[in-house]
Amino acid sequence: MSLGGIDYGILLLYFAFVLGIGALVRRRIHSSEDFLTSHRSVPVWITSLAFIAANLGAQEVMGMCASGAKYGLMTAHFYWVGAVPAMVFIGVFMMPFYYGSRARSVPEYLKLRFDEKTRALNAATFAVMTVFSSGISMYALGKLFQLMLGWTFTESVLLSAAIVLVYTFLGGLTSAIYNEVLQFFLIVLGFSPLSILAVHKAGGWQGLASRLPAVMTHTWRYLGDSASNPMGVEVFGMVAGLGFVLSFGYWCTDFLVVQRAMAADSMSAARRTPLIAAFPKMVMPFIVIVPGIAAMALSQMGLGYALPQKDGGLDYDQALTTLMVQFYPSGMLGVGLTALMASFMSGMAGNVTAFNTVFTYDLYQSHVRRGAPDRHYLLVGKVTTVCGVALSIATAYLAQRYNNIMDVLQLVFSFVNAPLFATFLLGMFWKRTTGHAAFTGLLAGTTAAAVTHGLTVAEGKGGWITAVHHFPSTMAQNFWMAIFAWSVCFVVTMSVSLATRPKQEEELRGLVYGLTDAPSQHGESWYRRPAPLAAIVIVAALILNAILW
Amino acid sequence: MSDLRTPIGVLFAILGGLLVSVPGNHAPLTDAPVNLYVGLAMLGFGGVMLGLAMRKSA
Repeated sequence: MSLGGIDYGILLLYFAFVLGIGALVRRRIHSSEDFLTSHRSVPVWITSLAFIAANLGAQEVMGMCASGAKYGLMTAHFYWVGAVPAMVFIGVFMMPFYYGSRARSVPEYLKLRFDEKTRALNAATFAVMTVFSSGISMYALGKLFQLMLGWTFTESVLLSAAIVLVYTFLGGLTSAIYNEVLQFFLIVLGFSPLSILAVHKAGGWQGLASRLPAVMTHTWRYLGDSASNPMGVEVFGMVAGLGFVLSFGYWCTDFLVVQRAMAADSMSAARRTPLIAAFPKMVMPFIVIVPGIAAMALSQMGLGYALPQKDGGLDYDQALTTLMVQFYPSGMLGVGLTALMASFMSGMAGNVTAFNTVFTYDLYQSHVRRGAPDRHYLLVGKVTTVCGVALSIATAYLAQRYNNIMDVLQLVFSFVNAPLFATFLLGMFWKRTTGHAAFTGLLAGTTAAAVTHGLTVAEGKGGWITAVHHFPSTMAQNFWMAIFAWSVCFVVTMSVSLATRPKQEEELRGLVYGLTDAPSQHGESWYRRPAPLAAIVIVAALILNAILW
Repeated sequence: MSDLRTPIGVLFAILGGLLVSVPGNHAPLTDAPVNLYVGLAMLGFGGVMLGLAMRKSA
């Protein structure tokens, strides 16, 4: 791929703006809370877009396009089933506890609700996950720019890391959130034309559908039996595994996204953040998945376009970039590449800002040095930002040496996030849940996920204890692993709770349903209230599913 | 920084202007003037963001 001067100019212009935003926000940073939590001062439209942009890393953009090419429109379940219901749930039911408790992070909520050891367990696993996630994002960016632009791996990694470091170091969470909004618009405006051009070239939706097997253009019709669709998943696995456990585990408990809503300037704004974010989230499949499907149709039209081969099969990961080369002239190609760079940086900055908050408040302040002046924690937050980026760079190089590190990371996510949702569900909605039970349940759930992985095999992965069951795909294996992990955590937490002494009700006010006053909505217009917004989101999601059944 | 819409508006106005300035470039699989269409859309979007920011500050 050869870029023109205008393409490089657009890339440089974007870098100048993200750094400029960091420099402008810097003036507002006076305390550790300004730096790490934005001091709960960000308007709702910004937190809403940042809520989904933090999740919109390049692995998401390129990965969803690749999945669209491989699995077809069923991939949209990751949005309409695997995100929207959970976003409604956190906005309506969970945010009053997160925001109302005045906790500065998700692990800190666990401290208030349960105890220090549950907080430490969650903080430590989350810190490790964010560093690895950020590093792998950096690794993917390095590989991509090495392939596309001929830059060396080190040049690509260091350039992107340096830019993210500068703007997060200068402006902290506010700078990261503001840049995520900029990056969101760039991603939408940079990739939407690709979807329109590719579908138009394939003969519109009807023409595209006529060139592909019917399973590629439907969401639910072929989910009755796991053998009928390329994902190898049936309705129960999809709804319970993805739609309930994995989705709620991520969107409702992962501090990376919850932090954006907690930065909002009021309780009402915090609750509306995931609900407003659900609208653009619903539309994202048309921007990132449909081009992948169109790529498969175009490759059958004799236009000279085909996906590259890899290991004897198609290299689906290159669907997005090969389409950009075919449909974007110099100029727009620069915008597309900048959008790709923006998605990498948004994912990386999201992880770094979540890491520095959790490390500073939940590990350092709790276990290393309590009661220090605030300027000390501000300094620790800034040093942690530098360390987080440095660790991410190290992880990027580690990922370069091991070809299965991404699989390992995905597994760790399944192990950690799925049981965590059971802990939160019981903790927020059953006052009898105890700290010992939460801690034991989390460990038991994670162990259950590991055992399931050790006893089952999918695409040659797992079965390290013995293979008692074969799944048709790793996706099906992940869904069922999450279901087992959640169920074991739920049952163990309930059982241990009944055998241990709960906290006094006075200690649980503001933290548990039934002991917390409903947030006041007096004087709020109907469209600013969570319930009507949630109803509109649910109806819109149902309509989308029905149309593309 | 008073309003995030200002830098967003300025960035997309500049991007739109740059794309509109090279309307003749074509890609292998399309004859459509992609730079022109997207450039105009970005100019419009940038204008709307700047308009909203100015309305708020007025």
